[in-house]
Amino acid sequence: MGSPFPDWIKQQWASGENSEFTKSIVSRLGLHTVCQSARCPNQGECWKRRTATFMILGNVCTRNCAFCSVKSGRPEALDPDEPARVAEAVRELGIKHAVITSVTRDDLPDGGAAHFARTVEAVRAANPGTTVEVLVPDFLGDEAPVRTVLASVPEVFGHNIETVERLYDALRRRKITFRDALRVLETAAAHHSGSIVKSALMVGHGEEPAEVRATLRDLLAAGCEAVAIGQYLRPTPKQRRVTAFVPPEQFKEYEVLAYQLGFKFAIAGPFVRSSYRSEELLQHLNPVRTDT
Amino acid sequence: MSHEVTLPFLGEDASDIATVSQWLVQEGDTVEEGDDLVEMTTDKAAFNVPCPVAGTVVEILALEGEEVKAGGLLCILQ
Repeated sequence: MGSPFPDWIKQQWASGENSEFTKSIVSRLGLHTVCQSARCPNQGECWKRRTATFMILGNVCTRNCAFCSVKSGRPEALDPDEPARVAEAVRELGIKHAVITSVTRDDLPDGGAAHFARTVEAVRAANPGTTVEVLVPDFLGDEAPVRTVLASVPEVFGHNIETVERLYDALRRRKITFRDALRVLETAAAHHSGSIVKSALMVGHGEEPAEVRATLRDLLAAGCEAVAIGQYLRPTPKQRRVTAFVPPEQFKEYEVLAYQLGFKFAIAGPFVRSSYRSEELLQHLNPVRTDT
Repeated sequence: MSHEVTLPFLGEDASDIATVSQWLVQEGDTVEEGDDLVEMTTDKAAFNVPCPVAGTVVEILALEGEEVKAGGLLCILQ
């Protein structure tokens, strides 16, 4: 019996004492993680290092992107206690660089932006010295919610462009345009108080390298300073098939190209994700906060 | 003392299921904690399941091609 994957698509199944410890904290505090909801293949590696990427605003998304296995449908009411519990999980796990993402909440007037900002503030208050990275939804391209999140001054502000312009309708089901997604980054670049602006995309959906290059240029023009590129992997049969397994060498080329184009930080590889080893970005650049 | 090696739970809803792709050890092998025991595949990717404790592989229970749910038995170690 062979594997339908190329030999470089191989990760560790999440197991062992540290992984179980991470899992028990997430579970006990009633938190959601994108690691679990999106079935991230890096869960084994990251949870063993006692880090996880928290997914706030509930675990039901108002979108249904073709590449994502997060539950889609009618979302739950916001839990006002969630920021405090995320802060507690960061404390118990000893996380030094906390990454917080969310589902999309088109049903909320501010898209959940205030709750996001409260979560950043709670994490910071309970964990002095811990840096915070947010990976936000597109807020339908609105400026005000982006500025609400920026006001909590996360060290890193991320919004993932996800794919190239040509594939936007197919992958994002016409809920948001490529240009509106770029607008989130433009707004962040124009209004931040020192946050590093970051984005990420998947390859393997049939995009051409020229399209990836064009997207990198678009991200830079929008004010993006850091980028991550990873291989799309199909979470369940409900999501679209993988069009191509991009070889590791191509990822290296993208990474070199990104630096040549002017990104301050770029990371590319089959298992790279926006949140993957995200503390490495700040290790390369100056953070907002210099106190430890 | 025998130890049942099961496929660890990953998610909140315990619906994880994987297919045994290839055993990397055989019955009779001595294994250390952390050694790769078996390659499993899900829809998403291929994974190696590491050995939880040092010992000897006594019996392989999940055969190549079989689906195993999280919590399901993979093999017995002594």
